[in-house]
Amino acid sequence: MNPFFFGDSSQPLYGVHHPATAAARDEGVVLCQAFGQECMRSHRAMRQLALLLTKKGYHVLRFDYRGTGDSALEMQDVDANYWLADLDNAVEELREMSGVSKISVVGLRLGALIAGVGCARRDDINRLIIWDPILSGADYLRELKAEISAVDESSGNFEDKDGCVHFNGFALPAKFQAGLEKFNLHETDPKSVAEIYQAVSHDNPSFQALKKAWEKHPRFHYRMTPAPHDWNFVDVFGGILLPQPIIQAIVNWME
Amino acid sequence: MTNVSQLNNVKERAVRIGKPTPLVGIISEPADFDPERPAVLLFNSGVMHHIGSCRLSVKLARAFASIGNLAIRFDFSGIGDSEPRRGTLSFEESAPKEAAEVMDYLQRKRGIKKFVLYGLCSGADASYETALADERVIGFAQIDPYCYRTPRYHLNYYASRFFVLEHWISSAKRLSRKITGAGNNKSPAEVAGIDDAYFEIPTYVRVFPPREQVASGLRKLVDRRVANCVFVTGSEADYNYEAQYVDSFKEISFGGLLKFKYLAESNHILTDPRHQNLVVDRMSSWLKGLSDSVVGAENAAAKAA
Repeated sequence: MNPFFFGDSSQPLYGVHHPATAAARDEGVVLCQAFGQECMRSHRAMRQLALLLTKKGYHVLRFDYRGTGDSALEMQDVDANYWLADLDNAVEELREMSGVSKISVVGLRLGALIAGVGCARRDDINRLIIWDPILSGADYLRELKAEISAVDESSGNFEDKDGCVHFNGFALPAKFQAGLEKFNLHETDPKSVAEIYQAVSHDNPSFQALKKAWEKHPRFHYRMTPAPHDWNFVDVFGGILLPQPIIQAIVNWME
Repeated sequence: MTNVSQLNNVKERAVRIGKPTPLVGIISEPADFDPERPAVLLFNSGVMHHIGSCRLSVKLARAFASIGNLAIRFDFSGIGDSEPRRGTLSFEESAPKEAAEVMDYLQRKRGIKKFVLYGLCSGADASYETALADERVIGFAQIDPYCYRTPRYHLNYYASRFFVLEHWISSAKRLSRKITGAGNNKSPAEVAGIDDAYFEIPTYVRVFPPREQVASGLRKLVDRRVANCVFVTGSEADYNYEAQYVDSFKEISFGGLLKFKYLAESNHILTDPRHQNLVVDRMSSWLKGLSDSVVGAENAAAKAA
């Protein structure tokens, strides 16, 4: 495992490269993290997914978008489109460092929205895996704002005078929201992606709606693997989720 | 690919410290690096990886580096990006050893001889234990460290509840549960509503040592002139007034070595950005004062020599 910085040297991205530990395949996997408290809570799960994939011969790259984790900038300086560029950078970086010709992308929650929109803009992605995806930036923001309106500002969850949403310890500034609102998987056509897997840990109408919209893709797969999914729970014990069944389901499908 | 990131006047570098199972960390280095200024080690809180609760460790490390102090946020073995190490040491035993390993690395590579530690919750406990064990530590900053009830705590507690009917009812229910043994001791997984198999909590179980033991440790640190910057949040059920920390260690004369702030409105992981900013500002100002005095003393000693 190799932690490093990559991308534009004035705004570098933090990444962790997990080289293949079994006979290497000609395929690398980029992991797109969730955001905010969901990212904190899923860090271990993404690392576990990376390790299992390396045992199957994949090179894996985890990375932080600008304004998050160890990467450059604060969210105040970030436009949502930066994250699509960050995904592009990660894809190129993994291809270059591992020498693989095929790249696949796995995204969790908001990372799945970024992965879906980002991969649809490219013509070189082999497989796209969206895990418990957030389907629309606008819906996501609406849900956060609805939750915020139900609690007192002293909870730390509030929208400030500049329109920045503060939710569970992380900020989504107005500029970022303006870009995110335009991201919508229903309006995205990932036809250039060779194969798609929608991995869900529970059923809900929005997952079904996306399935309906995307199943016209010739190689679309949908699978529900029951697993914990309360990603945004703020845990006073500092506990984190490790939903093994769905991690294993993704690895099995990849294999 | 590089292991370096340049952010305004702060350069960041990804490092792997120790063999065969390295600890992974990020060094934030000031443009005007001075090895005479103490470096800051930022510890994990529970199982959260090295960016810290709500990315607070990143904000702190960059703030510290911007005022001239090199800072490193890293993962103890088995947490975040650091692999587990073989052995049977508990977290209480391994954390000070691994912190010493990081200090050795910075001393060897960068010539730094003095260190300041920061931690929240289990990280606060590890900073206290490491400060006790390693004489290179000249200061430590803690959020929600060990704290103890005092007579005034009890007075505040009962006075606030005495005239409130709901409290009498809940006390009666609690007493009833105690007598019948019903509904006691929910596990963290039960509280979170998640099956134990899919839930990971820190292996470190936080048990406050006897007050006298901590008082004895703090006295040793005061004798060594180790500075302490303490924040207690409103999440600490055993805490209910500003001066409780000092009152609970009444036998210790902290003098100017203690800087304290009670964040009564804050939760344990500081989700409110206003509390995060306050912590970053106050801790940075405390660190700057401490570092300036260290460098000043070194210069004075050099002149005298």
